[in-house]
Amino acid sequence: MKLPHLLGNILSLILILGITVPGLAGDPTEKIRQTTNKILSIVSDPAFKDPSKAKEKKKLIRRAVDECFDWEEMARRSLARHWAQRTAEEKKEFDRLFAELLERTYMSKVEGYSGEKVRYERETIDGDYAVVKVKILTQKSKDIPVEYRLKKEENDWLVYDVSIEGVSLVNNYRTQFNSIILQSSYENLVKKLREKVELK
Amino acid sequence: MKVIYWVFIFALCLIPFHRPCLAGDSAPSPSLECSISQSDEKQDAYATQMALVTVPLKPSGVEEPMETIADPLEPINRTFFHLNDKFYFWILKPVSSVYKAILPEDVRLGVRNFFSNLTTPVRLVNCLMQANFKGAGTETARFLLNTTFGMAGFLDPAKKEFKLEKKEEDFGQTLGFLGIGPAFYINWPILGPSSLRDSIGFVGDLFLDPQNYLVTSIPANIAVKSYIQVNETSLTIGEYEDLKAGALDPYIALKDAYHQYRQNKIRER
Repeated sequence: MKLPHLLGNILSLILILGITVPGLAGDPTEKIRQTTNKILSIVSDPAFKDPSKAKEKKKLIRRAVDECFDWEEMARRSLARHWAQRTAEEKKEFDRLFAELLERTYMSKVEGYSGEKVRYERETIDGDYAVVKVKILTQKSKDIPVEYRLKKEENDWLVYDVSIEGVSLVNNYRTQFNSIILQSSYENLVKKLREKVELK
Repeated sequence: MKVIYWVFIFALCLIPFHRPCLAGDSAPSPSLECSISQSDEKQDAYATQMALVTVPLKPSGVEEPMETIADPLEPINRTFFHLNDKFYFWILKPVSSVYKAILPEDVRLGVRNFFSNLTTPVRLVNCLMQANFKGAGTETARFLLNTTFGMAGFLDPAKKEFKLEKKEEDFGQTLGFLGIGPAFYINWPILGPSSLRDSIGFVGDLFLDPQNYLVTSIPANIAVKSYIQVNETSLTIGEYEDLKAGALDPYIALKDAYHQYRQNKIRER
């Protein structure tokens, strides 16, 4: 099936390409380029090739990613209209679980980077929102169009959604979470999230 | 050829589903009559979607209406989902893994290119039906280049040297281009996720695929199609596992990914 690769590789690409460096306002595309190189240098650094350094490597990559992704915004959008009904504590817990889920599921994929080139196609900025379209050039199959959606927070561009071939990560989780909440309850959703995250 | 008329009559039956089902975030209700809300918000979302532009740049907070595909057949679809899951892990993946171990990747990529080259008429005709003449030209050029310089289609010099990308079009997308909505989600056993519109598209494309005219005996035809699938799976092992790993509800994850993917393919030229 072709579709699973879209979801399966979404965050590997996110983590590989990364997004903006905080403190530098301006061109979102340029930020993507810079952070891409940052993460790539960590991944291909020979000093980290040793398996004993794997934990440290992971921490560095995670830090670079944290600078670029607005986990709270992603979590909020994926809960959609169920977000407003949550207490502050529930929101905090959900943020943490959601970020954990994404990290655990896709962090390992970063290692799978094998030199694919990225072509930056288009950037659209509308006030505090921007869309950056890139194409991942693969040798094996057709080029993969990826779309990053960014929001400006205090002079800092952060990613709140990634779409691969038109499949938005946030929308996909939103559909799943909505279905689970409507068919059972929010508590059940949190239970499932916890189980998934703690299992790995 | 009488069958092709039935295909088009079926397509006409889809006209009531012309407007995409803006089911929104309501509780799942098995009904074919999609309740199209009259609210301005949803009208705008519909208009934007049909205007061949991507999702509006400035999202209006988290309450933006989300387009989902109706799923009145959910119980059956879920059953087939589990069936396909077992089929993948018990049959398709083991066979593909052995096949992968035997043949080097370049050969398998070549096989993929070869069969893809043969299905050019499907893409070409559907480009024409969507008045995408540039796409039709690209497909023609790709076919000529790959057949002559690409060792009868095993190689893809059209992409490597001339940067001509394959234009993936099918009859389901053509119907979508003409404004026909997916109607509802169908998860076929073996064949996988689809929709009413795309299933009709699949049948329509059977008349355009040269393979069906070259290999007329049904068992042989199925054998060829199975081989193509095994070859394709050998190149994409791990992707379905990744989908399951990242999802809380893999059935919904797949359904939604399929729907978003198809909507995007219809939008793009």
